[in-house]
Amino acid sequence: MPVLTPYPGKRVAVLELDAVSKEYLTDSVRVQALRDVSLRVEPGEFVAIVGRSGCGKSTLLNLAGAMDFPTAGDVRIDGESTRLAGDGALTRLRRKKIGFVFQSFQLLASLSAVENVELPLLLAGVSGARRIAMDRLRWVEMDALHARLPHQMSGGEMQRVAIARALVHNPRLLLADEPTGNLDTATSTSILRLLQRIVECGDTSVLMATHSAEAAAAAGKIVRMRDGRTEP
Amino acid sequence: MGRLFFRLILRPLLRDPVRAALTTLAIALGVAVVLAIEMAGDAAAGSFRSSVESLTGDADFEISAPGGVPGEVAASLLRLPEPLEVRPRMESFAEVPESGRVVPFLGVDMVASAPGSSPSGSLGLTSLEDGDAIWLGRAFHRRKGERISLLVDDRVVGFTVAGVLSEQRGEAAVVDLSTADRLLGRHGLLDRILVRVPRTRSLNAWEAFLRRAIPSGLTLEPQGARTRENRRMLEAFRWNLRVLSYIALVVGAFLIYNTISVSVVRRRAEIGIVRAVGAGRAAVLGAFLGEAAVFGLCGSLLGTALGRLMAQGAVRLVGATVQSLYVSSTPAPVMLSANVLVFGLAVGIAISIAAAWLPAWEAAHVAPVEAMARGRVDYQARVHWLRNLLWAGALGVAAYLACLMPPVAGKPFFGYLGALLLIGAMALAIPAMVTLLTARSGRWMARIAGPEAMLAGRGLLSSLRRTSVLTAALATAIAMVIAVGIMVGSFRQTVALWMENQLQADLYLRPALTAAADRHPTLSAAIPDRIAALPEVEAVDRFRAYPISYQGLPATFAGGDTTISSRFGKVQFLGAADRKAIYARMRQGDFAVVSEPFANKHHVRAGDALSLSLAGRTARFEVLGIYYDYSSERGFIVVDRQTMLRYLPDPAPSNVAVYLKPGVSLDRGRAAVERACAGRQVMVFSNRTLREDAIRIFDRTFAITYALEGVAIVVAVMGIAGALLALVIDRRRELGLLRFLGASGTQARRLILFEAGLLGLFANLAGLCLGVALSLILIYVINRQSFGWTIQFHWPAALLSGGLALIFAATLLAGLYPARIAMRLNPIEVIHEE
Repeated sequence: MPVLTPYPGKRVAVLELDAVSKEYLTDSVRVQALRDVSLRVEPGEFVAIVGRSGCGKSTLLNLAGAMDFPTAGDVRIDGESTRLAGDGALTRLRRKKIGFVFQSFQLLASLSAVENVELPLLLAGVSGARRIAMDRLRWVEMDALHARLPHQMSGGEMQRVAIARALVHNPRLLLADEPTGNLDTATSTSILRLLQRIVECGDTSVLMATHSAEAAAAAGKIVRMRDGRTEP
Repeated sequence: MGRLFFRLILRPLLRDPVRAALTTLAIALGVAVVLAIEMAGDAAAGSFRSSVESLTGDADFEISAPGGVPGEVAASLLRLPEPLEVRPRMESFAEVPESGRVVPFLGVDMVASAPGSSPSGSLGLTSLEDGDAIWLGRAFHRRKGERISLLVDDRVVGFTVAGVLSEQRGEAAVVDLSTADRLLGRHGLLDRILVRVPRTRSLNAWEAFLRRAIPSGLTLEPQGARTRENRRMLEAFRWNLRVLSYIALVVGAFLIYNTISVSVVRRRAEIGIVRAVGAGRAAVLGAFLGEAAVFGLCGSLLGTALGRLMAQGAVRLVGATVQSLYVSSTPAPVMLSANVLVFGLAVGIAISIAAAWLPAWEAAHVAPVEAMARGRVDYQARVHWLRNLLWAGALGVAAYLACLMPPVAGKPFFGYLGALLLIGAMALAIPAMVTLLTARSGRWMARIAGPEAMLAGRGLLSSLRRTSVLTAALATAIAMVIAVGIMVGSFRQTVALWMENQLQADLYLRPALTAAADRHPTLSAAIPDRIAALPEVEAVDRFRAYPISYQGLPATFAGGDTTISSRFGKVQFLGAADRKAIYARMRQGDFAVVSEPFANKHHVRAGDALSLSLAGRTARFEVLGIYYDYSSERGFIVVDRQTMLRYLPDPAPSNVAVYLKPGVSLDRGRAAVERACAGRQVMVFSNRTLREDAIRIFDRTFAITYALEGVAIVVAVMGIAGALLALVIDRRRELGLLRFLGASGTQARRLILFEAGLLGLFANLAGLCLGVALSLILIYVINRQSFGWTIQFHWPAALLSGGLALIFAATLLAGLYPARIAMRLNPIEVIHEE
């Protein structure tokens, strides 16, 4: 079985959230999504954020994925602060260091499995994208179905392809938002096993948001959230 | 029900105002163009009465003959023991030198028309003076006693204003019959005698009575017959213009189809829910057809107002064409009548509902469970591209067969049907084209233009129906631009080549008074005699033309010097007939040649005999040949000059061609000719100037077609903008996801611009293929059956490449705003919506 390439370089925290707060304005109403949250994810660590719907899990993942800016505090991804970065810098950061896995798989319906996987590499202008994509598909045991379109695959197969896509550029941090939310128990177990293998095989860390205690149990560290705060 | 319609259909439209406005505007422009052409046509041609006809008053009959009616006929009618009102007239045109406007110039019997005498009401003469007195229409703004100069044929003549024509608001000048006779050199020949009969017996009985009372060679017609003739002549022109005006509406229909399809796709889940809670199929069908009707109603109302404005400009262009090709007329004011208003509303709403029928029907027939099913959020209508391609082939064959059919009542109905079938074939072939072009090209597109290009291609492929409809809409507009561009370009080139053969003389002379298809002012007969005697001149060809009526349609009877034509001319005959042999035979007696439009219009072939009434005598001419001619759609019957003079002895020519001796420079020859014309208002043109003038008139004639095509393109591009906007909204999840996967905002923008570019590319490709096919129908079927001209096919390469590049750029521009929206989408929000 192929092994993920270990990430070279010095071992700094993959993700650091330092007293981060996030406030939204929705229809003129202020919503405090995160309040003074601090969190540290080390290389090779599998962390689960657990909490009810609306507790701030997804907001935390968005900040961790350089998709959004904190209202207060600082977010550092592999040592790089997102606070002062512009859109271009954040895009580059995502391309190099972040991979996303979503609850509803989010595969592009018009692209085949391998085309979905190679997409982040193509967007980043990396050469040899097809070869790397096939390599990642092999790693998630989906290489045989590489030519299939999303609607020709099951939920578990789609999530495997989504994980292969999230790993295709060898990211430092994989962010998974309810990755088993749309799957049955047996398929969920195999997906969680896959996430565990990611941290076992390389330097990639996994930060998973879930409301399921069973899913959280697969992680090495569990952080509980309520009303936008982490609980000790 | 009304409340539900508002909540489920109208309210979402209000939340998407830009797209709703673009769709409404597309329909509005389509309706506006149709109404503008209808109103302009009515003003310039439909309600047409020639300038001269408008002064005929309330007569019942008119007696006329090419070359003139002897004055004695009027006298003999007056001697009849019946209380007839007999009004002899001479009709011509004069030019107001200061303004260059050409006005009707009439000679009437002032004694009969003077106040107190019976027919005074017909012209409303208010005063009577002697000598070169003139009565003017109110538009001249002249007072009694003022002096005015007018250009009559080739002379400037001074008149004293004797009075104002109280009932004639337009520009018309009236003189006494004797003055007109002297100035126009008619030698007592009248152009027309108007007769008003008492109501003591039926008009048919009076017609029979009058027919017995006049010589047999004269034409007796109910008053207004010429107007009807002109209307018939203009029918083909109006038909073709009308058909052209519907293109923008057809393009608009494609866009309504697309809008309702998008609406159905977006509300798929809602359809399932309302069906599940009790709504029937009819309610769903009604809701979507209602949405289309709302677009149709709003678009039609706006289109009616726009159409009224556009008609003002269109009437100038249509009027100029009518003047150039058909008859002297002054456009009437543009009228927005209740009929036009109802027509506009009906057309707009009907076409919107018809275009929406298919997607609405599909929405009504989708099973509720299937509609509500989650999973594939983007509903992809099933498009069987291979089956559609086969249908396209069948329609193509049907179009070919339609083009082989003859005209119906002089109109190329089957030609239009062939064109429509071809548009249908193209629309059905587009899914196959898009599939074949995008399915296998993803990798090299990504390699050449980046992953955005590949994603754009796949995006278009994944919404094949929408892509196909948009491509078809733009391709239809492009195809019409190409087809008309090729047709006009070919026609222009054909005319240019024809002129090279036709115009062999060095100099051409005509009276300063502008000629038209139905007016042929003359030069003094002495002028060509003087020119022929010049030492610089080799030969002079005198050509005289008379407007006549043949089989109820206007035509031109003319005489030319066939000796000169045989020696210098290069006129080409159909079937490569021997030119010199034909000319030689024409000199031997009553033989004629006819122009191609005349032959086609009247189904005349070489060997046929034409029977004409000339100056009261019936003449019979055998047709020796049919020659190519592009100078007039009315058609020519040409005889040798000596033959013509036997029937119509007036020697004054309408125009003169001068051949200089070898070695005489053009400047020297021209100076000599101009000296020979001294004292007369004669225009002298070199060969080159004449050609340039002809091409300028040609371009002016086709200006309206370019304007109509321009509107169709604007409608299509607006549709693309609206559709891309819808596409951005519908695919915001995908665009947001790309940002998560590392795409920059610029890349999201480029993706939409690539989609716009690909749509433009597909449309250009399909439009080019369809346009070339349609141009063949226009040239070889519709033009031939409508106007009877042979047009040689030419590629106006520069025009086509320039036009296509411009349209492609416009498509890209249409993508700019949607691309900007795509760039600004908040990825977190759109992913969260899922």
